[in-house]
Amino acid sequence: MLKLYILLYYEFFKIGIFAIGGGYATLPFLYFIQSQYNWFSLEELTNMIAVSNVTPGPIGINMATYTGYTTAGISGSIITTTAIITAPFIIAITIMKLINKFKSCKEVNYIFNGLRPASCALLISIGLKLLYQTITYTEEDWSMSVQFDYHAIFLFIILILPFSFMKKRPLLVILAGALGGIILN
Amino acid sequence: MRKANLTEIYKIFFLIGIQLLGGGYVILPLLQKYLVEERKWLTEEELIDYFAVSQCIPGIIAGNIAMFSGYKARKTSGALMAILGLITPSFFAIIILASLLTTFTDNKIVQDAFWGIRISVIVLIIITVKEMWSKSVNSKFTYILFFIILLLLIFLPVSPAFIIIISALTSFFYLKIGEKKNA
Repeated sequence: MLKLYILLYYEFFKIGIFAIGGGYATLPFLYFIQSQYNWFSLEELTNMIAVSNVTPGPIGINMATYTGYTTAGISGSIITTTAIITAPFIIAITIMKLINKFKSCKEVNYIFNGLRPASCALLISIGLKLLYQTITYTEEDWSMSVQFDYHAIFLFIILILPFSFMKKRPLLVILAGALGGIILN
Repeated sequence: MRKANLTEIYKIFFLIGIQLLGGGYVILPLLQKYLVEERKWLTEEELIDYFAVSQCIPGIIAGNIAMFSGYKARKTSGALMAILGLITPSFFAIIILASLLTTFTDNKIVQDAFWGIRISVIVLIIITVKEMWSKSVNSKFTYILFFIILLLLIFLPVSPAFIIIISALTSFFYLKIGEKKNA
């Protein structure tokens, strides 16, 4: 049992170091773990991804919790969740210490001056890609033609119009979207 | 700025953790609301910087941004409280869902709701950028940089970390050269 705990910690510590980017960056690692150790089946993995998506919280961390739980119960889930945030925690603290130290240095501001427009572009491109995926679908016949999903376009317009003028209420946007999804389908 | 106490940091990130549905990017509007607007522990610029840096370092983006913000509020122990608060709600939610062993995700209503939430996430991303815009894209240079990067990201499969590093270098050298010219 101790050996399993150590292996779990080791594998998820590695994910914490090497998965750079969003939560989905952890997926290839989980597939690797599945094929390497057989702690859970492929079908269970698919289920974990689905549940992690519908649970609040960062998807990558959710998947770690779920995998740990499936493999070794509650103690397993505590180990994997701790393991996946260990390395990022140390790195984040180190970076903040460095930023604080060099904050007044104008070269650091030169760098951030470029990072900010890049962040905006990154977010917009993610938004556009998600929007394209959501409002179009490919016909499943011989033509494979791309069709518009008018329900999705309708819901998008309904949500963006009022909320872009309102005070910031992220939870309300999420709940309105969920309700819209249930009503429209 | 009032000094943040650890329990309060934990509580806020616990609240954010509950509301973090539909992927990590939703943490940005939540932090804008709770930390930038309501408590003023962070400035809009700092939040954008944390997001950018989070792209290039290991770890889950939402978790990294949470730790940076927690550190800003109360150093290392603040960062620890932030990440613990953020993951507590999902930890219990996962344990409960996993032990129920139901086909929760196959449920039609749950699927429809998440179809709608996907659209909410897009709307939230757009609103977030709208708020960051004036602090980020506000000169001829930053406008040009923004559009070039946007085109690159849309048409080429480039990694976000690469984009962030290139933008940092471009801006650094552009301003450094400008500085020499003016000197």
